[in-house]
Amino acid sequence: MSVAAETSIPSQLRTERPAHTRVARGLVRFVRQKPLGAFGAVVFLLIILVAIFSPWIAPDAVDQTHTGDELVSPGAKYWFGTDHNGRDIFSRIVYGAQVTALVGIGTVVLAGLLATTIGLISGYFMGWVDVIVQRLVDIWIAFPAIFLILTMAAVLGTTGELGFLGLGRGPNWGPDPRDGPWIWYTFPRTTVVILILGVVLAGGAIRVIRSSVVSVKANPYIEAAQVLGASHTRIILRHVLPNIVPTVIVLATVQLGTAVLAEATLSFLGVGVTNFPTWGQMLSGRTRDLMASHLYLGLFPGFAIFFAVFGFNMLGDALRDVLDPRLRGSR
Amino acid sequence: MGQYIVRRLLLIIPTLIGVSLVVMGMIRLLPGDAVDIVVSENTTGGGLAGFERLVDQELKDPSWPGIEPVPDPSEADFAQRQAAGLDVLATTDDVREMAAAEGVNLEDTEARRAFVESIPTARRMEIRNKIALDAYKDSIRAKLGLDKSFFAQWWDWVSSAVRLDLGTSLYGNQSVNDELQRRLPVTIQLGLLAMFFGAVVAIPTGIISAVKQDSIVDYVVRSFAIAMLSLPSFFFATLVIALAMRWFNYSFPIFYSDLWEDPVANLEQVVVPAFILGLALSGTLMRLTRTEMLEVLRQDYIRTARAKGLRGRIVVMRHAVRNALLPIITILGIQIPVLIGGSVVIEGIFGLPGVAAYLLDSIRGRDYPPIIAVNMIVALIVVFANLVVDVCYAYLDPRVKL
Repeated sequence: MSVAAETSIPSQLRTERPAHTRVARGLVRFVRQKPLGAFGAVVFLLIILVAIFSPWIAPDAVDQTHTGDELVSPGAKYWFGTDHNGRDIFSRIVYGAQVTALVGIGTVVLAGLLATTIGLISGYFMGWVDVIVQRLVDIWIAFPAIFLILTMAAVLGTTGELGFLGLGRGPNWGPDPRDGPWIWYTFPRTTVVILILGVVLAGGAIRVIRSSVVSVKANPYIEAAQVLGASHTRIILRHVLPNIVPTVIVLATVQLGTAVLAEATLSFLGVGVTNFPTWGQMLSGRTRDLMASHLYLGLFPGFAIFFAVFGFNMLGDALRDVLDPRLRGSR
Repeated sequence: MGQYIVRRLLLIIPTLIGVSLVVMGMIRLLPGDAVDIVVSENTTGGGLAGFERLVDQELKDPSWPGIEPVPDPSEADFAQRQAAGLDVLATTDDVREMAAAEGVNLEDTEARRAFVESIPTARRMEIRNKIALDAYKDSIRAKLGLDKSFFAQWWDWVSSAVRLDLGTSLYGNQSVNDELQRRLPVTIQLGLLAMFFGAVVAIPTGIISAVKQDSIVDYVVRSFAIAMLSLPSFFFATLVIALAMRWFNYSFPIFYSDLWEDPVANLEQVVVPAFILGLALSGTLMRLTRTEMLEVLRQDYIRTARAKGLRGRIVVMRHAVRNALLPIITILGIQIPVLIGGSVVIEGIFGLPGVAAYLLDSIRGRDYPPIIAVNMIVALIVVFANLVVDVCYAYLDPRVKL
């Protein structure tokens, strides 16, 4: 048998499909094997789409009230009913999706970047850097996230009167939030919320990323690269980082649910984004008093939050199964 | 093991120091807040006295009493005070801006005083009141010790905390210690009850789910667990309250009754919130129980037990469950921060006077001593709980070497 025949495979025997078919097949397999995960992905996309297209989906403007039509039950005219100010609940839920999407994704991205950077440095260089970072992380996660979040929110002033570095300053900072249907008009406050949540959530992730880095570092090819004279930067960026990407992705999706829940809790307590409709905010205040007689007031925002977090958690679980079954441990 | 415990206890100290530094650091980032709120609580009539004091400094005459009522000044004195007042006004940013716009030179005494006098009276009063207010706030800041450097404040706090004096509230002078003494039992009771409920719900279902792996029961339980994780506790709590009112015409008691004074009323108030909190906890617990049970069920000794013909799942479960339960204890310890966090919302909604509600109120009112004190207490509890859990685990599982 000649060597030439071995190195070229006749095209009829190639079993590798073109890229787009592979992706499509992978997706179909994902949906079939993990229907709940697919459901979660659909929820994720739905929320993003609703957030992006909210001015067109919502029948009302952001602050529009219908005086005289307060507390109308859900019906043909107002799909989800109106609240005690006469605002259409359906529109507010649609606009609330902007907050959920933006704060959720922003938090996860920030937490991911922070945790990856710190985890990489700590896990790769070990030594006293690692020890110090570990102690700091211990303090970081030593107390309940809510406490940290609330304290930081109080200090940084998400309610807008004063603020650190000018973040969180009131409506005079930037365009008036009532000018339009987009959440970035509330830029200062949203930024502060994302900052706080991102920093707090990063703490929990650092440990996982660090242990992942440590286990990747134990591989012989890392040592080989070091012997060959590759700089630390090159090794980290080219060898370690690509190998911890699955861990990071799984962490990110898992934390998405946590982030959305945390944002909803903050809004409920009144320290989140205050000048734009948010789902948590819709559950607080007068709604709580009126809910006994008008269940729909709280039902829709609450289920929106539940729906979102449930979907994200399902997606996170499914991705975890697919990308790194060891992390899940139940299979 | 004794060595380990001692080492861990010693490690608590740097952790607590770190926590206190972080908390105080965060609060210190905005010193103006508490004073702003405290000032708005009192009238700003005192601000006028502050302004008077500024005028006095301007005159640099130590004989002026300042805050006390001023005796009728003579003509010359009066003119002097007037002029000094104009000078003080000229030091403010507002006047400086206006002067710059008009091109008036503020260095020249005559021009300066003439210019300030030319400003309409209402505007002058406005500026003057602002100065007065700032002066008043500064005096309050000095009184509360908020103008000292960060480390001075931190050291003050630490030295009094070591003597178990956690300070007094910025408003109303209530001792933080007393408040904490009243509120800590409430939160602890809520937490323990919630853990109990969570365990009671989660552990049996987790075990069943593991034993019947991949069956319909398993599927349902796992979905239920994730649902519990995803359900916002404040939504569920609000829903429960609303439905209780709607269906049973039942409204939850507003006033808290102590457990020792009136057990029935106390339980009536605490059981439902504890159950809701426990449900939120049970999601994680269920999945962990299931994971641990699955791990154990795969072990060889289980297979041996079955091969020996030991009757039924019940006997096997006696072996499996005992071994699976050990890590659960660890998890319970780790859940304490989650519990405390959850109780912030629950205590708020059900009106229970607990530590978490205290923190929430303090944060809203920018009342710094309780904020620091509560954070420290919670950190202490969490660190201790972790230690206890680790020691328990080592005690129960002979394979674990500390």
